[in-house]
Amino acid sequence: MNTASDRPVVRIENLSLAFLGQDTVVEALRGISLNIAAGEIVGLVGESGSGKSVTAMSLLRLLPRGKTRIPATSSVNVLDRDVLKMSDVELQRVRGGEVSMIFQEPMTALNPVLRVREQMFDVILRHQKITEDDARKLCIDLLRDMKISDPERTFNAYPHELSGGMRQRVMIAMAFSCRPKLIVADEPTTALDVTVQAQILSLLKERATATNTAVLLITHDLAVVAQLCDRVYVMYKGKIVEEGPTKTVIGNPQHIYTRALLNALPEGKAPKSRLETVAAAMIEGEAAVSPVPAAPIQPVQVASGKPLLEIHGATVRYPSRFDFLGRTTAYNTAVDGVSLTINEGETVSIVGESGCGKTSLANTLVGLVPLSGGRITYRGQDLAKLDPATRREIQIVFQDPQSSLDPRWPVWRIITEPLTVAGRKSRADLRAAAGELCTLVGLDPKMIDRLPHEFSGGQRQRIAVARALSVRPRLLLLDEPTSALDVSVQAQILNLLLDLQATYGLTYLFISHNVSVVRHISDRVAVMYQGQIVETGPADQVLSHPTHAYTRTLMDAVPSLEKVFSAA
Amino acid sequence: MSRFNRSKLRNAASFEIVVAFTLLAIVAFLAIFGKLLQSHDPMQGDLMARFTPLGQKGFLLGSDHLGRDLWSRMLAGLQWSMGCALTANIINLFIGTTLGLIAAERPGWPRTIARQITDTLQSFPFLVVAIVVVVIIGHGFWPLVLTLGFLAWPIFQRVVYAEASSIFQRDYVKAARIAGVGRITIMFQHVLPGVRASLMVIFAFHFAGLLIAESALSFLGIGAPLGVPTWGNILAESRQYMLKAPWMMLVPGGAIVVTVVTMNLVGDGIAGLARRRGRSIDA
Repeated sequence: MNTASDRPVVRIENLSLAFLGQDTVVEALRGISLNIAAGEIVGLVGESGSGKSVTAMSLLRLLPRGKTRIPATSSVNVLDRDVLKMSDVELQRVRGGEVSMIFQEPMTALNPVLRVREQMFDVILRHQKITEDDARKLCIDLLRDMKISDPERTFNAYPHELSGGMRQRVMIAMAFSCRPKLIVADEPTTALDVTVQAQILSLLKERATATNTAVLLITHDLAVVAQLCDRVYVMYKGKIVEEGPTKTVIGNPQHIYTRALLNALPEGKAPKSRLETVAAAMIEGEAAVSPVPAAPIQPVQVASGKPLLEIHGATVRYPSRFDFLGRTTAYNTAVDGVSLTINEGETVSIVGESGCGKTSLANTLVGLVPLSGGRITYRGQDLAKLDPATRREIQIVFQDPQSSLDPRWPVWRIITEPLTVAGRKSRADLRAAAGELCTLVGLDPKMIDRLPHEFSGGQRQRIAVARALSVRPRLLLLDEPTSALDVSVQAQILNLLLDLQATYGLTYLFISHNVSVVRHISDRVAVMYQGQIVETGPADQVLSHPTHAYTRTLMDAVPSLEKVFSAA
Repeated sequence: MSRFNRSKLRNAASFEIVVAFTLLAIVAFLAIFGKLLQSHDPMQGDLMARFTPLGQKGFLLGSDHLGRDLWSRMLAGLQWSMGCALTANIINLFIGTTLGLIAAERPGWPRTIARQITDTLQSFPFLVVAIVVVVIIGHGFWPLVLTLGFLAWPIFQRVVYAEASSIFQRDYVKAARIAGVGRITIMFQHVLPGVRASLMVIFAFHFAGLLIAESALSFLGIGAPLGVPTWGNILAESRQYMLKAPWMMLVPGGAIVVTVVTMNLVGDGIAGLARRRGRSIDA
């Protein structure tokens, strides 16, 4: 690794960059400097809007020139040549040749109408003078290096025939195909399941080490950085606030922001304890109003023990094939004989990867999807035959606060929509109720006339929680409520949920793929795999001493700070 | 006007919008108050003043082969043509939106039927069908309006179906359903406001299309009854005198072009405004 350290692959010096809007100038980068030596894996960590992706884009000058302003004192040197001053022809040789890129979304990064073969050829033949036969052999070798079991088949496949993990392997193979000196990986595993993420990350590290390629890994996930990177840069609001060897930065953070970021992670904190949030002053736009109970949380009495919701052998099937008369001939089974009991006042989590059926189960519980088999009772009554008032006691908070709020409605209307069904119509009454609910979830009640787009992601999720609370529910389904949010915002939402539970004795069914969040918030955990619950029990027992093989695989795959440090 | 602050007016897109809506206002004004602005009786000719060129003997836009004032005839025709296109457009909007919403909200046979009707209708060349229908049911204002109204709606159905389908998938519609909001209420409060911007854009573009269709049918002699001053009829009458009195053709022809361009500009303008609003809302 030290062989070429005198000649860094990347040397960014004092890079500032501003986006020029119609009448606004947004400063995205404020004088950052960054070095990457040959063969080094460097992490660039920050929350959304910190400027980490902009940094990566400027490495290849991918940002539109007319709409950005870079002062002349800035320089971005790749292999000792300034990218900012290169001609377009020179730049093309660098792009894809000396520097290649891996994107977050493997679905959109590959062209859906071209086979893997054509897309790999496209890159290789542009940058290397070899025959098609040699290129073919090279591709197969690259795919085999990515531990793809049947490289020939993958080579001839269309992207839609491959799983997300496979596509990302193909992307990485393509990135390595021209023996680049540097690979920029922008959130390469964010869209993938944890077990797949673990495989992809170790492959990336293995290939980079084997070929002595430098990697700039851009991510919001500190645990991923801890597992993979030699050095790390922490970005905040367009500045690099801390840098150094990964273990030093994470083990002994100096800057207040890095510390706050680490403290906001639920990992390694006492279950159900309040998470420290990144100081309100540091987060733009996030309201500083504190939620109702400022006192430390009392652990909820683990329930009156009375079962609130009982699921007996629930099965959900979707029609998948039809005959010529439109009759269904085949089904996909999403939920396969699931049984689970949720007691009043407790938090039960369902953990599982995408496609395991956890969202189908949630949709069934709120009546969006009919049950194909089995029985669900709520307070002893059949769920399907509940009267509307009782049915309203089950509410849901969705994952994506973007799509869960009508963009054309002011906040007060969004929050009180369920109330209008319950028969409350007067505008003044509804607005007053909206104001109270806002205060409850830590939003300024003066903001009830604003539209959703005027709020940050965390605030929008608070609005969604307020809407769910408006009809005084007993059971709240939380479908990945924090997975679209930054770590510091996630901590705030988790705190809010814990506060609300302590105050109102709510029962939560928490659905997530994030094991450390689940460990933090749950009393009991059910692990779901291919439509079935494979393991269930108290949170600590299931997650620390898993008995089922799948749970063990899952737990091993979860990137964690602890693992890195205990291994050291 | 508060939305139009100075900085927005400064850029070209906004300038286009201002031009479009100014032209629209002029056309609308002429259509509504045209009667008062007529300098002559549009039906009464002065045989001593046949083929008077533009601006002479008090004929602002000249006179035709029977000595009738073209300006007055154009105003009368504007009312007829605009009225026809507007009424037909409203019928289109209503049918198309209803069938689009049905197709989006009710999978199964209602969707199949709604889509089949649309596909069938759209698989015939619209003008040919219109000609056949008008020939059968006779011509006049209402036959023409009803023909256009009941034949030209598929574009509305398609757009409403596509957009409404995507809105039905959104979590806020799910949240409303979970809260117990009825399907009709969801339709009027969440879905229709969501497709409103697109509907306005199509309404403007489609208006231009209907105006041309009306003129075309009248030109062929099967739209407005003979003698009734509509733009298509005026244009049709000018054919024989194209060389002798070219203004007889250029005036209605030019008017059709200007009006159609205006409606297209208005459509563009609304689309631009919706995009800009959408960017800030959906971003």
